[in-house]
Amino acid sequence: MLETFNSLMAGFAVAFQPEILMYAFAGCIIGTLVGMMPGLGPLAGISLLLPATFGLNPIIAIVLLAGVYYGAMYGGSTTSILMRIPGEAASVMTCVDGYEMTKNGRAGPALAIAAIGSFFAGTVGVIGLMLLAPTLASFALRFGPPEYTALLLMGLFVLAYMSGGSMLKTLAMAVLGLLLGMIGIDAMSGYTRFSFDIIELGDGVGIVPVAVGLFGISEILLTAGQAEPPQVQKPKLRELIPSKEEFKLSAGPIMRGSLLGFMIGIIPGSAHIISSFVSYGIERRMSKHPERFGNGAIEGVAGPESANNAAATGAFVPMLALGIPTSPVTAVMIAAIMVHGISPGPLLIQEQPDLFWGFVASMYVGNVVLLVLNLPMVGLFVNLLRIPYAYLYPCILAFCVLGVYSVANSVIDVWIMLAMGGIGYALRKFGFDLAPVALGLVLGPMLELSLRQSLALSGGTYSIFLERPIAVTMFVLGLILLAVALKPLIFKSKDWRSNVGLDDHVG
Amino acid sequence: MADPAESQSQPSARLGIKSDRFSGLLLFLLALYIGWLNRKFPVGTLADPGPGYVPLLLAVALGGIGLLVIAFGGSSQPLRNIKWPEATRAVIILVACSVAAFALERIGYRLTIMALLVFFIGIIERRHPLAVVLVSAGFSLASYYVIGELLHVPLPLGPWGF
Repeated sequence: MLETFNSLMAGFAVAFQPEILMYAFAGCIIGTLVGMMPGLGPLAGISLLLPATFGLNPIIAIVLLAGVYYGAMYGGSTTSILMRIPGEAASVMTCVDGYEMTKNGRAGPALAIAAIGSFFAGTVGVIGLMLLAPTLASFALRFGPPEYTALLLMGLFVLAYMSGGSMLKTLAMAVLGLLLGMIGIDAMSGYTRFSFDIIELGDGVGIVPVAVGLFGISEILLTAGQAEPPQVQKPKLRELIPSKEEFKLSAGPIMRGSLLGFMIGIIPGSAHIISSFVSYGIERRMSKHPERFGNGAIEGVAGPESANNAAATGAFVPMLALGIPTSPVTAVMIAAIMVHGISPGPLLIQEQPDLFWGFVASMYVGNVVLLVLNLPMVGLFVNLLRIPYAYLYPCILAFCVLGVYSVANSVIDVWIMLAMGGIGYALRKFGFDLAPVALGLVLGPMLELSLRQSLALSGGTYSIFLERPIAVTMFVLGLILLAVALKPLIFKSKDWRSNVGLDDHVG
Repeated sequence: MADPAESQSQPSARLGIKSDRFSGLLLFLLALYIGWLNRKFPVGTLADPGPGYVPLLLAVALGGIGLLVIAFGGSSQPLRNIKWPEATRAVIILVACSVAAFALERIGYRLTIMALLVFFIGIIERRHPLAVVLVSAGFSLASYYVIGELLHVPLPLGPWGF
C-alpha cells in the first residue's frame, strides 16, 4: 500500500509538470468541444487527434488523449441536458431527465450534478485503477498463450452478453472485426492475406480509419441534411448551484453509479454506454417515486453520468494491466502508445512506471480541470451548438480526411475510412452495433497468434486449454455467460436488457 | 425493432423478407466469399496451423452466426419498413469524399479541402457565397497551419507547391 502511495506521488510529480498540465488542460477543452459536436464522439475525437501526438513524448500523448476522452464524455452530457442531443451514445439516458430539468428551468443544477457526479466517479475510477491494475498485471505475468487465448475468447463472450442489442448480431460484428484483423502479412508464415494486391494492405487495416469511418462518417451520413439546430439555453453561473434537496437526492445515485460503472468498465464491450443504462434502471427501481423518472428526476442525471465516467476509467484497467483493449477507445489509445515503441501489458507498470503513474495522476488532474473549468464556461461552450449544421458537417468531414490521412500519410487509409463509413451506415440501418467491429480488429491478430502458439505448444491438441487452470476457469466463465445469453433466445423469455430499458430483442 | 404484433397485422408486411433474415443471409454469403478467398492459404495441421487456419475458423463462425440470425430473425421488422430518406445525400457525401481522396496527393491538401468545402457548403447547402469563401479558405489554410506547420504532420502539397 505504501509502495502504491509512493508511486502515485511520483506520478503526481510527473503530472504536475507544467508541460503535462498544459496538455491535460488542452485535452479536456478539445474533448469537451468534440463531445458537444454531433457526429464526433470520444472515439472519433481521439482518432483524429492521434497523428498530432506522434511527435510528442508518450506520457504527454496519453495524457492528452485521456483528457480528450474525459472531456468528450463531459461535453456529451452538456448537449444532452440543454438540447436533448446526446453528443455521444453514453449520454442517451442523461437526455431523458436532464432535458426535462432544462424545460423545468433547472438546467443549471442538472449540469452541476452531472459535473460533480462525473468528478466523483472519475475519482473512484482512478482509485480503483491504481489499486487493481498493478495486482492484475502481476497476476497476468503467469499467462502464457493458452491463457491469453482463453482471456480473449472470454472477452468476446462477455461482449456478446453485455451488448445493448442483439447478442447474435454483436457476435457477428465481433467476428467481422476479427476477420478484418486477418488482413495483411501473417506474422508466423509471412503470407500476405486478403490484400487484393494492394501493397499498403500488407501492414493490415489500421484501427483509426476503421474507427473514424464506422463512428464518424456513418454518423454524418445518417444526419447530414437535417434541419437547423434548435435554440440553446445558456445557463448563468449563479443558476448552477443545486438545492439542498437536489444534493441529497443525488448523493446515493452518484455513489452507486460510480461503483457500478467502474465494475462494468473493466469488462469488454461498450461499457460506458451499458453502465449508464443499467444505472438508470437501478435508480428508477430503487426510487420511492419512480413516476418522477422521465419528468426531470435529478437521480436520472446523477446515476448515469457517474456510471459512464467511472466505466471510462475502468476500461483502462485491462488496457494498462493486460495490454488488451475492452473498447474501441482503449484500442486507439493502445495504438497511440505503441507508436512510441511501448507495449501495454503486464510489464508496463514495471518497465514504464513514469508513464503508468503519471497517467493515473493526470487522470485525476483532468477530472479537477473538468470540474473547475468547464462548469463555469458552459455558457461559452454552448455557442458551438449555434453553428448551423450545414457548416459543421463539411468541416467534420474535412477533419476526418485530414486525421486519417495523417496517421500514415496514406490515401488508402482514406479509402478504407470511406468504405467503413458506407458499411457502418448500412449496418446501423439494420440495427447492428459497430463497437465490436473495431474491438475485433484489434483483438484479431492477438487471438490468432495466441491460438496458433497454444496449438503448437500442445503438439496439436485443444486439450491444452483444459489442462491449464486459469485458462479453463476463463473458458467456463465465458461459456456460462454465453449459455445465459442464449437462454432468452431459445426460450423466448426476457433478459436483463429489458429490465434496464435496452432493446430486449436478442435474436 | 418494430413491434412484431404490429408488423404481423399488416398483410404487406407479412409477405416481405424480414430485415434480420436479409442481413443474416448477407453475413452467410460474406462467409462463403471469405472461405473461397481463403483457399489460397494453407490451413496446415493442428500441430502447425497455417495462415489459412484462423480465417477458416472465423469464416465458419460467421456463416454459422449468419444462419442463426436467419433462423431467429422472424420477429424483426420487414425489410421494406427500413427507410432510407438520407441515402441520396449519403451517396453524394461519399462520392465527393472519394473525389477528394483521389485529388489529395495530386493537387495538395489545401486546394482539395477548399474545393471539398466549397462543394458542400456552396453547392449542396447553398449558403451565401461570402460565407462559403470564408469558411472553405479559412478552414483549409488554418488547419494546414496548425496540423502541418505547428504540429509538423506532413501534408501533401500540389504541383505548384501549394
